[in-house]
Amino acid sequence: MLNDITLGQYYPVKSMVHSLDPRVKIVLLILALVTVFLPENMLLYIPIAAFILLTARLSNVPFKLLLKGIKPLRFILIFTVVLNVFFLPGETVWLEWEFIRITKEAVLTAIMFGIRLVLLVMFSSLLTLTTAPVALTDGLERLLSPLAKIRFPAHEMAMMMTIALRFIPTLLEEADKIMKAQSARGADFESGNLMARAKAMVPLLVPLFVSAFRRAGDLAMAMEARCYHGGKGRTRLHVLKMKRNDYLALLFMALLLAAVIVGNRFL
Amino acid sequence: MQITFRQVSHTYQPGSPFQSTALSNIDFTVESGEFLALIGHTGSGKSTLAQHINGLLKPTSGQVLIDGSDIHADGYSKKTLRQKVGMVFQYAEHQLFEETVEKDIAFGPKNLGLEEAEIAVRVQEAMEKVGLEYDEFKEKSPFELSGGQMRRVAIAGVLAMRPEVLILDEPAAGLDPMSREEMLQLIKALHEKGTTIVMISHSMDDVARFATRAIVLKKGAIAMDGTPAEIFRHADELEDMGLDVPVICKLARDMQKAGLPLEDGIYEEDKLYEALLHLWKGGAADAQ
Repeated sequence: MLNDITLGQYYPVKSMVHSLDPRVKIVLLILALVTVFLPENMLLYIPIAAFILLTARLSNVPFKLLLKGIKPLRFILIFTVVLNVFFLPGETVWLEWEFIRITKEAVLTAIMFGIRLVLLVMFSSLLTLTTAPVALTDGLERLLSPLAKIRFPAHEMAMMMTIALRFIPTLLEEADKIMKAQSARGADFESGNLMARAKAMVPLLVPLFVSAFRRAGDLAMAMEARCYHGGKGRTRLHVLKMKRNDYLALLFMALLLAAVIVGNRFL
Repeated sequence: MQITFRQVSHTYQPGSPFQSTALSNIDFTVESGEFLALIGHTGSGKSTLAQHINGLLKPTSGQVLIDGSDIHADGYSKKTLRQKVGMVFQYAEHQLFEETVEKDIAFGPKNLGLEEAEIAVRVQEAMEKVGLEYDEFKEKSPFELSGGQMRRVAIAGVLAMRPEVLILDEPAAGLDPMSREEMLQLIKALHEKGTTIVMISHSMDDVARFATRAIVLKKGAIAMDGTPAEIFRHADELEDMGLDVPVICKLARDMQKAGLPLEDGIYEEDKLYEALLHLWKGGAADAQ
């Protein structure tokens, strides 16, 4: 029943992009998002789109999967574009009827917004598709660790995220099992009005919470038994190390960003 | 009631990179009154197969028929199906959720839309069957019981629906030896009273003691199908598949290897005893 939910949508294949340092990938994403918002001229999206296509190609992730990320956003996308077309002010009028006024500038800006949104989602999907969730939290922890100076609990946050991610499939499996067990006793999760459906969730949620608490207790005990005492002085199994490809990727991103900035000047 | 699998295959997450075939071309028929044991290595598809019997999973291809009608055909009532085929999951105690034992057991019958009075009768009857004193346990919270008792409550919850077929996924897993034996005796008693049993088990000794038939699954396909006597005649093949054989079976084989002229396929304690007695008497007769 819950088979369709794939979480963290990580696509496990080997590729140059997959093997990049997760820290680098997070930084790349931030830079990419900035780059997406900079262009003032439509032409500048060509190199950015080319960059995405190239990265997608190098990542061995089917392009179809990358586009799938946009699907849930299609309504927001259409809504934004349509709204912009109708309500942005402009000078060159293309169509005027009653209170509707469509201008060239508005249409262009609307398209630009659309492109930005699509690129935004594609860049983010590219990160989550090519980086295992645990690597992602690890990278995040390392990037945030300087904040420990202002007492930001970077390690604890990352550990919590890792544990949460680790247990999502487990809990899904558990939920699936309990749902089946209750269905076998004639429970009906799919029909009835909102109230009836909410009530039907009780036989699922109570056992699920009970097991989640039991697991949490067990895990805490198991971690303590292995001398876990928080992040201080803890060494790592996978020491993140920047390699040639990481520097190259950063260099390419920087070049793209620079190109867009320069392009804004001259176009 | 007759259960028939016709060329049933099941694939999990078809079309994704995580695609895996759990069952392929499964064909068999279970008649009323059988005690069928499903045996197989972890991941051989036993649980997947069991969940097809009461329609929790739908075959990717093939048909599951109950008394000749396809359970996934339009208009086949899932409610009737779930009433007829009860299913006890592995660690069934994890499905308990109500405030009291009585309410939890009543969940199934309530879903069937039965009258209050009928439900009360069935709850009491189910508790009796699993050996829980009605007056003592009805008001207790299921969460304050011991593991073995919780599992009994869970099984009572299924029995209260009065199923004709009971599927049990490792009903004795994780219980202490005494609760384990009680659980198996309970299942045996249910079988003797006419319930068809399908039991998934890792314990070959349990299979040898209780089952009237066993199906061995290997990588989602049926590797062997027959009476325990027929299955355990292939003890070596079972061991090659990474499965165990009953202790008596091993003992008889070791005795054979040591030179005793025992016949093949002995897996029951009294049969081995008889055979040994026969040999001994025969041997004594020769000596005279």
